[in-house]
Amino acid sequence: MLLLGNEAIARGALEAGIAVATTYPGTPASEIGDALARVAKDAGIYFEYSTNEIVATEFAVGAAASGVRALVSMKHVGLNVAADALLTFAYTGTRGGFVLVTADDPSCHSSQNEQDNRYYALLGGIPLLEPSSPQECYQMTKEAFALSEKLELPVILRTTTRVSHVRGPVVVGEIVPGPKKKEFVKDPKRFVTVPAVARARHLILLERLREASKLADGSALNRTYKIGTGGRSGIITSSAAFNYVMDAAKMLGMSADVLKLGFSHPLPTHLIAEFLKTHDSVAVVEELEPILETSIRAVAQHEGLKTKILGKADGAFPQAYEFDQAIVASGLVKAFGLRGEIAKTVSVDLQNLPVRPPVLCAGCPHSATYFAVNKATNRKAMFASDIGCYTLGVAPPYSAADLLVCMGSSVGTAGGLAKVNDQPVIAFIGDSTFFHAGIPGLINAVHHGHKFLLMILDNRTTAMTGHQPHPGSDKGPSCCDITSVSIEEVVRGCGVKWLKVVDPYDIKTTTDTVKQALTQNGVSVIIARRECALIVKRDQKGAILKKQYIDQEVCKKCRTCVDKFQCPAISSVDKVQTIDDASCAGCGACAQVCPYKAIKEAR
Amino acid sequence: MADIYLVGVGGQGIITASRIIGDAAILAGKNVLLSETHGMAQRGGSVVCTARIGEVYSPLIPDGQADVILSLELLEALRAVCKASKKTVVVSSSERIVPLSVSTQKLKYPTLEEVRRDVTEIAGEFVSIEASKLAGEAGVPMSSNIVMVGALAGTGRTNLDRKHFEKAIEMNIARNVRENLAAFSKGFDALSRKNRT
Repeated sequence: MLLLGNEAIARGALEAGIAVATTYPGTPASEIGDALARVAKDAGIYFEYSTNEIVATEFAVGAAASGVRALVSMKHVGLNVAADALLTFAYTGTRGGFVLVTADDPSCHSSQNEQDNRYYALLGGIPLLEPSSPQECYQMTKEAFALSEKLELPVILRTTTRVSHVRGPVVVGEIVPGPKKKEFVKDPKRFVTVPAVARARHLILLERLREASKLADGSALNRTYKIGTGGRSGIITSSAAFNYVMDAAKMLGMSADVLKLGFSHPLPTHLIAEFLKTHDSVAVVEELEPILETSIRAVAQHEGLKTKILGKADGAFPQAYEFDQAIVASGLVKAFGLRGEIAKTVSVDLQNLPVRPPVLCAGCPHSATYFAVNKATNRKAMFASDIGCYTLGVAPPYSAADLLVCMGSSVGTAGGLAKVNDQPVIAFIGDSTFFHAGIPGLINAVHHGHKFLLMILDNRTTAMTGHQPHPGSDKGPSCCDITSVSIEEVVRGCGVKWLKVVDPYDIKTTTDTVKQALTQNGVSVIIARRECALIVKRDQKGAILKKQYIDQEVCKKCRTCVDKFQCPAISSVDKVQTIDDASCAGCGACAQVCPYKAIKEAR
Repeated sequence: MADIYLVGVGGQGIITASRIIGDAAILAGKNVLLSETHGMAQRGGSVVCTARIGEVYSPLIPDGQADVILSLELLEALRAVCKASKKTVVVSSSERIVPLSVSTQKLKYPTLEEVRRDVTEIAGEFVSIEASKLAGEAGVPMSSNIVMVGALAGTGRTNLDRKHFEKAIEMNIARNVRENLAAFSKGFDALSRKNRT
């Protein structure tokens, strides 16, 4: 069957007999959880969209420490949140198989950075598997569980966007249900990491890693491919880079041996030493950080080998952004001094082509909120933004983001901004992100009396990643019984005294409420609540909304609806502004924006 | 071996189109790799999917290597032209989704003739079809993507049989299967007729 890399991971986990799967959605990892959410009930496993990645990890730790198998998946930056749990869990080790999937995002297709999470394997002393294809995603997930139980260690399965989001043929096997319950056998000298225990466990971890290195040396996941006639040139590679190596070598018509590392940490040092001994020069082809390259140079030094090692250090391969066939081909030409001609691409001048970046959708409540905030502040405010669809408000006309680093950072950074700036400070955070990481920041702001306005943009879902539920949702996936947690109660519980809830589609009230909030001392909170327009459209709940049109006889062509407001349904071509009836979501925000009342309900 | 580069705007059903191509290839007993754009796909941005039929390792299509560029939106056909060379046929829907930048930065949306001129400077052939009109005629106005899959099949460049595409549509479309097959057929005919003349 044709499976997405992420779906293949879900399938592999089911076949491995998992009892528990958790996640916090994030591109490019989201479809692992989404696939499991769909089948969890039928498969008899427990699945949840956890509040954030560390909670997801801790939940899985509780299950796996008891002896059942658990899968936890997240995007790369999610592991920054989960790392605190994971790194010490490597010390206690696990009883049931524990696999953590991190989906990295070279080139930042949907991310705030392109960190290389293979470093977490090195940092934590955690075995690392790196699939290159959907078939390997499936197979390595199964093997990761077996490996985890054999070593009694958590295992990281690391993909990238071009592995997770590739769809290809996968030959699958039978789903064999595993145990769903195991009694946790108490063993505080192993599982309670007070300093004395931690010191002892660290030595055990290091011993296990030596064992893991031997397993890597003999693993079928580390194998050699011959390109052309093979010969004295070698290439060591892993993950998506392997695919580009194979395609690029064919394009170049070159001959080489390729050592593909699927089990790349701990490094299979003997295998690598042998490969280095049998080749005169070896190119190391890996995306992002020179992790293999540096370790392979260390192997060569240790073994006293003179093999030429080529990679990023010599500038043959870049250290930023994802690779493709052309980048790898050009790197191989440089590394091996090939005389091969790389087909020159035709350069077309597309400079003047209108750009089409992602934008807030027609009917998006965030658009109305941002318009109201700009009106209320006259654009004289600092905006601390956060991670979600609403980050798209950074673009004109709203320019509603001035500082953003990570999930939940709006609340924390707003305090610092407010302390050293005289302008009013407004923090924007989505509903899912508020639950994920916003709450400690809010408590801190209340406790220390920081003065800013926190706007919780509550569209009732985790929209950007595909509309997964969050703790405030009324409805969970079919597999789970959930209890909705009220944002208002949480906010009040944090000690906030000034709290208002507005409907962003009511621009006047929202504007007035923002003005009022900014006169408060200490932290004030506005919840701007309106369901995501895409969900309204999908579920056909828009019957109450009225499509709009621009009455050209009334319209003064002032362009307010395109210059100060932004809606993909409104366009201005040849100085005439019109609303596309098919795209209009009928929110009516634009009618309130128009100073001449030229925007009217369509009959 | 066929490399198909699919482009459009988020929300146009481009991932569904790519899955149909993928399933058609599998039904024909061929290897296939697809790459999909997720995450921001529904937020109205430029979206790219690829389908590579044959023995390849990566789903990414090198510049100039596409056999077919299938565009669900006129401007996006031009944006995709770096993947074209003289072997490439570019099939584009005539549908125009005007990006906000045209309104806000006062940039110009090119005419059909300008797109044709610029694309054929690099690509072997440019064909535009009224996908949305044909989908409407088939009774499924939202199925321009299926019309475009039909057009792809009609180019004869995929080496896949029509019946494989039709079966793949049945596998991927839950509602109005008959109408969607009619939409496919209209796209197919639009292209195969062009090939005859």
